[in-house]
Amino acid sequence: MGSKPVIGTNLCKWTVSYFALAVVWLLLAEILMATGFGFPHDDIGGPDTLVIVHMVCVGWLSTVVCGALIQFVPVLVARPLYAERWTLPALALLTLGLTALLAGFLALGGHFNGPLWLLPAGAGLLIAGFALVVANLGMTLWSARPLPAPARFVAVGLACICVTAAFGGMFALVLSGTDLGAQWPDLLVSGVPIHAIAGLGGWLTFTAMGVSYRLLAMFMLAPDGDAKLGRLAWRAGAAALAVGVVGGVLTLWRATGLNLVLLVAGAAALLSLVAYGRDVLGLYRTRKRRALELNTRMSLLSLGSLAAFPILGAASVATGSLQSHAGALAFLVAFGWLTGLVLANLYKIVPFLTWLETYGPVMGRAPTPRIQDLVAERRASKWFVLFFAGTWVATLMLLLDAALGFRIAIAVVTLATLGLVEELVRARRLADVAEPLRLPAGAAVPRLLVLRN
Amino acid sequence: MTEFIDVDVRPILRAGGEPFSIIMAALERLGPGEGLRLLAPFKPVPLFDVMASKGFAHHEAELEGGEWEIRFMPDDGSFAAAEPAPAAMSDDWPEPAVHLDNRDLDPPEPMVRILASVERLAPGQTLSALLSREPVFLFRELTKRGHQWRGGFTPQRDAYQLTVRVLA
Repeated sequence: MGSKPVIGTNLCKWTVSYFALAVVWLLLAEILMATGFGFPHDDIGGPDTLVIVHMVCVGWLSTVVCGALIQFVPVLVARPLYAERWTLPALALLTLGLTALLAGFLALGGHFNGPLWLLPAGAGLLIAGFALVVANLGMTLWSARPLPAPARFVAVGLACICVTAAFGGMFALVLSGTDLGAQWPDLLVSGVPIHAIAGLGGWLTFTAMGVSYRLLAMFMLAPDGDAKLGRLAWRAGAAALAVGVVGGVLTLWRATGLNLVLLVAGAAALLSLVAYGRDVLGLYRTRKRRALELNTRMSLLSLGSLAAFPILGAASVATGSLQSHAGALAFLVAFGWLTGLVLANLYKIVPFLTWLETYGPVMGRAPTPRIQDLVAERRASKWFVLFFAGTWVATLMLLLDAALGFRIAIAVVTLATLGLVEELVRARRLADVAEPLRLPAGAAVPRLLVLRN
Repeated sequence: MTEFIDVDVRPILRAGGEPFSIIMAALERLGPGEGLRLLAPFKPVPLFDVMASKGFAHHEAELEGGEWEIRFMPDDGSFAAAEPAPAAMSDDWPEPAVHLDNRDLDPPEPMVRILASVERLAPGQTLSALLSREPVFLFRELTKRGHQWRGGFTPQRDAYQLTVRVLA
């Protein structure tokens, strides 16, 4: 056994603030969709749809993933975060940048008479915010080389958010009609697939896959020490993203061959997903915990959405309807897979952090409740069922081009999200902890939006 | 000359019992200037630090069959001068007084059990625990409480071995 200097991990103060702001963006996007704003009522590439897409992908998913990463990258690599003091300015930049960007889209859609510089200004602030997060996490990872498998997924994800943000910045220059943007007239047509692949695929999906290796192993009590675990999924996925992004940029420059690039990248991505599915199944089979907790069961449901994605995608390609089904496929990835996975894990992470914050100081000195005592799984499970059912029905309605059905399904999803948010607030307030154990001497009720560390 | 109270923990250990509380109870009953003679089936190294922290020096003698007689006496300086305490090397941690296998426990139960056991240790004593992963959130709590620790993965990388020492 080797002995080495060990450094601990702290609770990051602002993690729950990231979560809270992210959830606000999610609810806002859901309410807008339920009222019929954006796709499918509006054009899929129209400004109103761009408002929804960026609310969901930047406001909700990117913010919540950033919040989770500043807390859990240090756990993955057992090193402290490079600079905790950068986390609050990054959150402010991301929030401000997104607000300006959305205002820019709304002005572009003619909802109000805003200045054109809103788009590049918003993009600039967003790029600054992401740069701060990427630098912070990147330096943390750098200090921990050689990286364990889950952290290598995160490293690729960080590279991909840089690509996504760079393309987004260029789009903002084109859309706002600047002289610089006028030099790239075709950028929007062929650049959007790269922007979307790098963002949804590389940054959000690949990062979530990596972190889920550790989370699933932890919560199912499955051994994950095998160095080969996740290797094929990582190699194939990284290759898919490299081909998609580098090849995409090359074809953009040569103005030909994008379909071939997407085909090769798609094949590699499929191999990565299959390998990932095999790994998750392996963890499930070797788990020591027989009865799984709600968060793990719900994570598995979101994985079902991820598995349905290539099947639906292949069926759409085969029937030549990929173009018309692109919205449904993107919705399935953003909600069925990513939002479902994030909500399921927030349902564990928030009570876990709250428990550590509240009972850490008295651990071993006074009786404490279990983490499970901070939540009421029976009550929450109905919200999760409603969420996934609503999401899948909404996907189906998009496939069938039934706009009203989609809005009704989204209303159900919104209701379920509200229910889950209430459960998270109750966990922060220790509202479900039975009285004698709730607050032992030396413990204090946590604040809702900031962690005590 | 020091008067000794005898405590024989050999039958307790043979019956699978836990002698620590009995020794501590005997210690409570000692009068001023009195010492404790302990008979044990092995050399109770972890106890030496506990007793030292309570102001007792010790003298050890091996008996037949690998058993030991340890005489603890109030440390007024005279005894220590004649015979330096064996656990003088500051870098040398004593054998763990407690062993925990927390590999199959649900987080945060591994942490809770380690901290609960550490609370019961005497200054200078150590605890050893096997975990399924590196307990990154435990370290900040150990630091806050002023304990020292050493840890690392086993060569097969299938477990994390942690040793915690309560500050003497």
